[in-house]
Amino acid sequence: MSDLLGYLLTGLGIGAGFALVGSGMVVIHRVTRVVNLAQGAFAVLAAMLTATLLATGLPHGLAEAAGVLVAAGAGVLAGVVAIGRPGTEPGAALIITLGLGVLAYAVEVTVWGDQPRSYAGLPGAVTLGGARIQAHHLLVITVTLPVFAALTAFFRGTDPGKALTACAENPYAARVVGIDVRRMGLLAFGLGGALGGLAGVLLTPVQQVTFDSDVTLIVNGFAAAVLGGLTRPGVTLAGGLLLGVAQTLIAGYGGGAHQLEIALLVMLAVMVTQAVRAGSVPEAAR
Amino acid sequence: MRARTVLAAAAVTLALPLLLPERHLPVYVLLLLAATVTAGVSLLMGYAGQVSLGQAAFYAIGAYAAGLSAVHGVPTLAGLLIAPVVAALAAVVVGAPLLRLRGHHLAFATLAVHLILLSLLGQGTWAGGAIGLQGIPPLSLAGVVLRDDVGYAYVAWGVLAVVLLVSRNVVDSRAGRGLRAAAGSEIAAAAGGVPVGAYRLVVFALSAAFAGLAGGVYAFYLGYLAPGSFPLLLSVEVVVMAVVGGLGTITGPVAGAAVITLLVQALNQLGTRPGMPSYAPAALSYAVYALLLIAVVRYLPRGIVPAVAVLRRRTS
Repeated sequence: MSDLLGYLLTGLGIGAGFALVGSGMVVIHRVTRVVNLAQGAFAVLAAMLTATLLATGLPHGLAEAAGVLVAAGAGVLAGVVAIGRPGTEPGAALIITLGLGVLAYAVEVTVWGDQPRSYAGLPGAVTLGGARIQAHHLLVITVTLPVFAALTAFFRGTDPGKALTACAENPYAARVVGIDVRRMGLLAFGLGGALGGLAGVLLTPVQQVTFDSDVTLIVNGFAAAVLGGLTRPGVTLAGGLLLGVAQTLIAGYGGGAHQLEIALLVMLAVMVTQAVRAGSVPEAAR
Repeated sequence: MRARTVLAAAAVTLALPLLLPERHLPVYVLLLLAATVTAGVSLLMGYAGQVSLGQAAFYAIGAYAAGLSAVHGVPTLAGLLIAPVVAALAAVVVGAPLLRLRGHHLAFATLAVHLILLSLLGQGTWAGGAIGLQGIPPLSLAGVVLRDDVGYAYVAWGVLAVVLLVSRNVVDSRAGRGLRAAAGSEIAAAAGGVPVGAYRLVVFALSAAFAGLAGGVYAFYLGYLAPGSFPLLLSVEVVVMAVVGGLGTITGPVAGAAVITLLVQALNQLGTRPGMPSYAPAALSYAVYALLLIAVVRYLPRGIVPAVAVLRRRTS
């Protein structure tokens, strides 16, 4: 029983990280229709930078904040390259973000090498209902939930948030009422970068990062995001948590190395079911 | 393509293995194999409008099919012919459900297929596991055992020639025209009587067969296979080659594969020079893939080959 509770809580911690990566993809896709394959790179970049800053003696908190800020900046830059040229189709932008993800490898390998990195998170373990879990997992959960709440409030209640939603609903109409769709796209990329960076700095103490950890992060983040049709942050959170819990349960009860495949199969099944239910897919607007 | 140009290209590329120094032959062989896989991707992306980020999975399936059958005593020539068939069958099994997906969903799904395959190969003891499959015999044709790089250079050349010929015939066929219509507007094509779903599956299987055939040659050439030989980046690499060369052209894959392979090779030489840091070769090749891909998509969206064709028309 206490095993189960421990797996559940640990899974929620990991899943919260997936949800953050996925929500970054959702924010970018909502506004720009681009699926950002460089999303995992933001997380890796922030994590590596934070590890370096911590090693130079910067206190916790500051180092993580710097990592997230730089990831947000990288997000804006990625946006400039991916959608900066007017008339770039989402399909072409997808290929560009793929290139950006590989470019991030070149930068990361040059700056940080190819060895895994990590740093200490919140120390100690907490006993909850007879289950011991690492305190850091609880930290990940307690950071993620307010972030999602803030994200929802931002989209619903603030002017830039409403403008972003307008671009997501109908780019043409948004342009007509005077919203700079391109600037909103860059804002979305910046926000996506920050969310990815946050996932990176939060998850690194419990999962080491290497320059190519982005694949696992993107796959899990995308799986979470795809549950919400790539547009709904709330469902992405639920999807991420579900995925995290499922993976820890599988690993905990002896599935060992098969966690990623199961996440992938779930993702494939969901996507195919959605496609079948939607019938013939609406064609991309040209 | 003018017949004379094709003949000239054939003559030059046929003479190359004899003219090249021995140490450059592996690059030649790998270049041709890359071009073969890229031809499939180009067909898939250019004519069927589908992005596959898992093409190297079919390369791996072909290689393992050939390798495993040869290790278990099947004649190597039969093994080489089995490779594309197994890859195509795998593509049909995978593609039947997945090809309902479009755009980025399909791109992700193919990536997922690649990751699942890598994990299966890594854990499957029948395939040698993470250590790999060893002791694959060299290819033998009619009692002659192919051991030299020159021999494989000609086999790879022949494989690429066959694949390009098949590509051209598919593109020129009724099905090819239907596919082009479907890449433009699926609904319009379907309304015009094109069996879009069936054609897409056929092209997916065909592109997998190309990759599988190249994989078969690769298995006999190296004599050793491991899951690590087929990283995710290899799938990305063939997409880069296809996009850079020019989607939906017959010569694009060859041009793309040649440009990228030679550039990466040159940078590798530079990166492994004494005094260069150990990460230099990897970082340089990542940078090349990335920058070329981004630059081409942004500034030459149709790729090098169509751009050169336009330039020639303007100057003449």
